[in-house]
Amino acid sequence: MAESTKADEKNEKKVLRRDFLTGSGAAIAVGALAVVTPAAAAVDVPTPTEGEVTYPASMGYIVYDSRLCFGCQSCMYACSMAHQGEANPTLSRIQIVKDAPSFTTYPHDIVMNPCRQCVSPLCVQNCPTGAAHIDTEHGNVRVIDQKKCIGCKRCIQYCPQRPHRTVWNPYLQKSSKCDLCLDAPYWSKKGGPDGEQACVSICPAHALKLVHEPPPQMDEVGYDVNLAPPPPPPGPPRRPGTPPAATQSAPKV
Amino acid sequence: MAGGYTGKILRVNLTTKTISRIDTEQYEAFGGGHGMGSAIFFDLVGDQLPFGGFDPRNVITIMTSPFSGTFVPSSGRSEVQGLGPMLYPIEWFGHSSFGGRFTAQLKYAGWDGVVVDGASSDPVWINIVDDKVTIESAKGIWGMNTWDAQQEISRRVMPNLRYGEWAEFTDSELVLPANSSHIPDHSGSMAYWFAQNRYTTQVPAVVCCGPAGETKSRLGCLVHGPGSQASLCGFGGVFGSKNLKAISAIGTGGVPIADPKAFMEARLWFRQFLWDVDDPYQADKYEGRGLYALISGQPSGGNVLNGQVPLIPARAAACLSCPRGCRMRLATGESNEAVCAGTMAVNVRAPQAAGAPAPGAGGFGGGDAKLSREGNDLMTQLGLSHWQFMPLQRYVASLYQRGLLGKGKKIDTDLPMDDVGSMGYYDTLMRKIAARVGIGNDLSEACARFAEKYGMLQDDLNNGNLQLTYWGTSEHYDTRVETEWGFGSLFGERDLMQHMMANYPLHWMAETGSPYLTAEAVAKLYTDAMVPYNGDPFMVDYSETGNYSDSKVKQVAWVKHYEKFWTGAGGFCGWRWPMCITNNTPDHRGPTPEAEPKFWNAVTGKNITFAEGMVTGHKIYTLDRSIWVLQGRHRDMEKFPDYVYNEKSKGNIMPMYQNGKWSYETGEGRTLDRAKVEEFKTKFYKFEGYNPDNGYPTRDTLEKAGLRKVADLLQSRNRLG
Repeated sequence: MAESTKADEKNEKKVLRRDFLTGSGAAIAVGALAVVTPAAAAVDVPTPTEGEVTYPASMGYIVYDSRLCFGCQSCMYACSMAHQGEANPTLSRIQIVKDAPSFTTYPHDIVMNPCRQCVSPLCVQNCPTGAAHIDTEHGNVRVIDQKKCIGCKRCIQYCPQRPHRTVWNPYLQKSSKCDLCLDAPYWSKKGGPDGEQACVSICPAHALKLVHEPPPQMDEVGYDVNLAPPPPPPGPPRRPGTPPAATQSAPKV
Repeated sequence: MAGGYTGKILRVNLTTKTISRIDTEQYEAFGGGHGMGSAIFFDLVGDQLPFGGFDPRNVITIMTSPFSGTFVPSSGRSEVQGLGPMLYPIEWFGHSSFGGRFTAQLKYAGWDGVVVDGASSDPVWINIVDDKVTIESAKGIWGMNTWDAQQEISRRVMPNLRYGEWAEFTDSELVLPANSSHIPDHSGSMAYWFAQNRYTTQVPAVVCCGPAGETKSRLGCLVHGPGSQASLCGFGGVFGSKNLKAISAIGTGGVPIADPKAFMEARLWFRQFLWDVDDPYQADKYEGRGLYALISGQPSGGNVLNGQVPLIPARAAACLSCPRGCRMRLATGESNEAVCAGTMAVNVRAPQAAGAPAPGAGGFGGGDAKLSREGNDLMTQLGLSHWQFMPLQRYVASLYQRGLLGKGKKIDTDLPMDDVGSMGYYDTLMRKIAARVGIGNDLSEACARFAEKYGMLQDDLNNGNLQLTYWGTSEHYDTRVETEWGFGSLFGERDLMQHMMANYPLHWMAETGSPYLTAEAVAKLYTDAMVPYNGDPFMVDYSETGNYSDSKVKQVAWVKHYEKFWTGAGGFCGWRWPMCITNNTPDHRGPTPEAEPKFWNAVTGKNITFAEGMVTGHKIYTLDRSIWVLQGRHRDMEKFPDYVYNEKSKGNIMPMYQNGKWSYETGEGRTLDRAKVEEFKTKFYKFEGYNPDNGYPTRDTLEKAGLRKVADLLQSRNRLG
């Protein structure tokens, strides 16, 4: 896998203390079994092990525009369908949360929660069996090997995001997470960082997008990006006097 | 069972407070949704008919479909059925659907539907958390508006819920309902495995009645979320009559799919028919843009109250599974998820403006957009049906203008009629109706019975002051021109409400002034999709001759069969399906009739054709019709009010074939012809296998449809055709 190796080098990212403190989580040696206190309280995290440690950065990240989202949740069903062969939001590795019961206001009424393919993946770091690992043969995607998973839920416990992006499969009693559709038996497309993802492909609002550079790792800001189409080219309206399209013309707040 | 089903339907008897289950499999031949609802209703109380909608024996079914909880495009509807107290002159066995999240959550909880009968002695709500089903006291919730009630119930279901977190359901909470032995085997599907450590990030989906329902108003609707209404038939009032405030559902399971790969392929294939949200000129592909673009595919187009500049920042909002997203969620929180009539029924004038704006014109009609949004929200909070309130408030205003209603008038009321159209007026009017206070008590009986009480019904139906064209529900599209809408409603039990059955694609495209297809082209293209009657363009000929033709009979039958199976049993949205034409493909062909069986077969694992689905649609329609016959339906009752024969139409532009050529014409000045309408009815009954003398289904027709026991019951009542 010469290409992967080259890509690994290219995308390798140094993880420093500042990344840790901004919410991306602690970073220690790859493959270490040390358990790190989860960043459930993102501001109350332990001091990482001294010294710089590195993870090869994933070559793919799913970013989103929560203001474009329709809330149809098709991405969730597409995920569980592609991976498990059934429509099951609980098994989906992307979670779209709509407010309860839908009386809050735009844009806070819908929160999109895809796996961040963290630069410093605590799920990988805290997995005692190596089930959660970095797939260096496929663009450094953070994945969970179901054969090695013993269902200890540490990857869930230590995921710094809320809701956690590692997903419990109650039927298998194992964890799973977004693999960018690398191992999606019901998805006919090629997945992975250089392929297509079911959630991205199905989204009718084009509110999901695969990118190849690591977004800023602080809070949600780096992943919740502007995916709105560019404004029309300058010039007179094509049909003066017609009502504007609300979703395309409404200013963002 | 086949994929798409959970295998069991929840039954709750509120009189005995018993919870049991019905095996879905015994109703599988009816497809799902409307079909199953009709069959269950017939089995439970068909032999007891007739009785009224507020009778405790009335059975309310809220059914899902095999598509529910999947992402078959625009299939997120819940189908509600039962005797409808809104309908006139008989509270027909009716149906109404609502979008949102309920149908999906019910499936994830493991249920194909909910059947409620009996009446509780005290206010209650039904709590469904996976297999745990309980009847809870509604103390503290009864009396709440629909928004507060949903929020309070959500808090009671998940008291520790933090928005955006996973919630865990432990086994200690899990209690199987009575008569339930165990979760059935679903051929290895994971979805119904008796799971431990079950989680969800989702919140309960609650459907409830408002104060109007609690007072058994015939305008009482069911509300889910901020704007989804099951508006027709008065099912909110039925909830109230049963002392049932709400049903809440949340589940942690899934929906088994027979052929997931085929499903995913179908869903990718379907993308070609979608609006391109990245193309700023997408609307230009719809010649003339404007309303046609908004109603025929543009996300967010269903909310007409945010069409004025400056726009309120908003997102397009969808029901679960819908790639269209016809609704909006606004930064102001007003009119969230309301659509069409839910944003148009209340049209509030600006405080400084004199006189009422044109009723029903919404934000486009001169009303104050913000006040109108608030007014429509109040209507939904009170649980008032937008589709009945809209004609009712017009009628009240017309009575006032005619000097028949007001202080000291024939209809004596203290309503502030000198302030018609103001927010204060609407507020007073709606609250009086919901609480049945003063004139509100009479108005709460809905348009037809209100007018009847004051002896004005027949006159106002005949002169057109009260345009209740079919069964106590308002004229929607002009029957004198868009005849299939009128006949489709008349041969049903309420307004057709099936916009994509020619109305949007044909009427509204032409209404733009520069339709992207010629009348001849659209007639051919549209009817090519109308399997099994395809190849007959005259089905959509709206000329005076065409409107009574044999081809029109086929169109009306096609509408009813599609309504009953693909929309009703499949849970499709009537705003999106069928899609016989589109402007999103180079050849303008829509996904119908290819998409429907493609998705049905992928989900269920069956191998039906579009035409076979339509045959089941005929079966379901025949069953519905049999229930109406048991309630008293006869061909003599299936008649339009006189105004469609006496008053000239203002016209609706449609494709017409006249003098040997196709063109778009309005039909202005047209009236219906009584003799031709009667002749058309005869042809339709014969076409459907019903006795033209009385409109009753024949034994032969019923037995061919597998409805022998229905035939036997009709025969025992001397009502077999």
